[in-house]
Amino acid sequence: MTTRRGFIASLLAAGAAPRLGWAAAGSPSFLAAAREPDGSFSLHGLDTDGVSTFRVPLPARGHAGAGHPHRAEAVAFARRPGAYALVVDCARGDVLHRLSPPEGRQFNGHGVFSADGTALFTSEQRSDTSEGVVGVWDTGAGYNRYDEFPSGGIGPHDLRLMPGGETLVIANGGIATDPTDRRKLNLPTMRPNLAYLSLSGSIRDLVELECDLRQNSIRHLAVRHDGLVAFAMQWEGEPGAATPLLGLHRMGEAPILAQAPLADELAMQGYAGSVAFSGDGREVAITSPRGGRLHRFADDGAFLEALSRADICGLAPLGHGYLTSDGLGGLISIGADGPHPLARLECAWDNHIVSL
Amino acid sequence: MKLLSALALILGLATPTLAGVDEALDDHILPGFTAFAAATETLAQAARNDCRAEALRPAFQAAFDAWMPVADLRLGPSETGALSIAFWPDPRGFTQRTLSRLVAEDDPITSDVEGYAEVSIAARGLFALEMLLFDPEFAGYPAGSTACELAATIAADLDRQADALAQAWRDRFADVLRTAGEATNATYLTEDEAVRAIYTQILSSLAFTAEKRLGGPMGSFDRPRPARAEARRSGRSLRNAVLAAEAARDLAAALADWKLPETDAALERVKDAAARIEDSSFQDVTDPQARLRIEVLQQAVQSLSAAIQAEIGARLDISQGFNSQDGD
Repeated sequence: MTTRRGFIASLLAAGAAPRLGWAAAGSPSFLAAAREPDGSFSLHGLDTDGVSTFRVPLPARGHAGAGHPHRAEAVAFARRPGAYALVVDCARGDVLHRLSPPEGRQFNGHGVFSADGTALFTSEQRSDTSEGVVGVWDTGAGYNRYDEFPSGGIGPHDLRLMPGGETLVIANGGIATDPTDRRKLNLPTMRPNLAYLSLSGSIRDLVELECDLRQNSIRHLAVRHDGLVAFAMQWEGEPGAATPLLGLHRMGEAPILAQAPLADELAMQGYAGSVAFSGDGREVAITSPRGGRLHRFADDGAFLEALSRADICGLAPLGHGYLTSDGLGGLISIGADGPHPLARLECAWDNHIVSL
Repeated sequence: MKLLSALALILGLATPTLAGVDEALDDHILPGFTAFAAATETLAQAARNDCRAEALRPAFQAAFDAWMPVADLRLGPSETGALSIAFWPDPRGFTQRTLSRLVAEDDPITSDVEGYAEVSIAARGLFALEMLLFDPEFAGYPAGSTACELAATIAADLDRQADALAQAWRDRFADVLRTAGEATNATYLTEDEAVRAIYTQILSSLAFTAEKRLGGPMGSFDRPRPARAEARRSGRSLRNAVLAAEAARDLAAALADWKLPETDAALERVKDAAARIEDSSFQDVTDPQARLRIEVLQQAVQSLSAAIQAEIGARLDISQGFNSQDGD
């Protein structure tokens, strides 16, 4: 996977210390941020049995992260409004770089590497207007920022790379926030969208939901190998509206909304915190920490089942099914025969699990 | 698990106080669902004899009273099961709309007890029945009318739901709580998590009472919202708030195997504040003096929650959810 240019660049950037691969960090399959029992924060690598393979301290509560495709390097983003992101050497536990958004910008908690690992794309917004920006950073040259382009909407959150590595998909949540206190400023007029952009920022597709769902903030994404995108939403309108919280979309087509039965939908409390396709790609799930539940859907959007687990949020593919994490330190695998506890660490897992 | 605690006791180790899960189930939750099932049986029986509003109201009130001790639980089968028994709040008026349509269209489902489980949850349960029995749009219906049959059908469906819920708790979910921490239990990975789950229910119930049952009709000072009072048609708004507070205290007392003097005192203040309220359905909330009395009750409910947090939460070192309290 490593290109010659990328390899040389990484040698140059690393100086004396050669960059190590993921094997040196215990070959984790996942990254997850956590709060430790003493109140400090950290980033863990997790293997498929739920064992923590490394732990690197973070200066503050993390949100999501991104793992470099080959180097044992992760970017950990601070929670919104993000003033920094840290590039962490997961093998040695060192902070390699501290990334700051340009003046008047803030990170929005998510980022993704290019397929070859030479670039990092970060979700950002202008502090004054909440207009979305994608920042582009050169991972071979000390994470210099060298490009940026509009995200196609207000308040972007998650972003992912589409299969083939030539297109980004971005959840423009639509919410304009106050730069200091995260107060939501435009709920009556918000208009979220799902934007597909080339790596240089030209819009390839842009999807908005029907007007009655415009207060459904599109925030988190999962992408299947064939280009099916799952998007998870958070309802900002009147409580109890029981709107769908999951959508499925293919570029160029109309989105499919996946709805659970009314009582189940109400129990989600209008909030989906993470989304993932199952390991076999046949289904997709969302989690709600507020409702303490996970909803499974078929890949055509048909509701399959609800599972309950307090403060559940993190979600990633594992085996044929899923791995979930929660604020009680639990790591639970969900397979065809239901959920199985894998491990419980003395920490509180943060919102997301990042697959490596 | 009992052996382990006993062992820890002998060895003089710090034992987390875990006795409460069994007591919470056996002293409060399971008897509560059994009593509710009995009350809905009586209600359904009454409706078979005479489905007119006047005749059904006493059994309806008794069933609602029986519901309140377990009404705010959102665990296991109650997570969704409670919603089709008590569909509230209903800001968009789904209950009224669905019932109006069923009656106007003389829908055959109105006399189909078996099939009624497929109807929208907004048209099932206590609040649907309340609408038929108390709302002027419906309540005058004669014997033999569609509305009368519908009332009997909703009562019978409610009875079935109550039986199913009681059974699901007794035969299935009680064991999930009791086996917390066992290797195959994927809902509660440790014993403490089951305690935490029940404790969280107590606090959410009190928050629901403060924010929705009382805060709903209070609205803002400039714009009180009397139509948002829970069960206002049957005059139960105040009664439900008090019964919910009593249930919270009872469940807390079952969960803790120590005395809760602050909690007990706080419940007394809730009752005192409630006794000063004149309109049992909060329809006088538009009067600033009356609104103030509801606000005093709201503060008393919040103080009850604070007392439970101090007397149970602090001792068990339970804090709020890490992710559920945070955005994104």
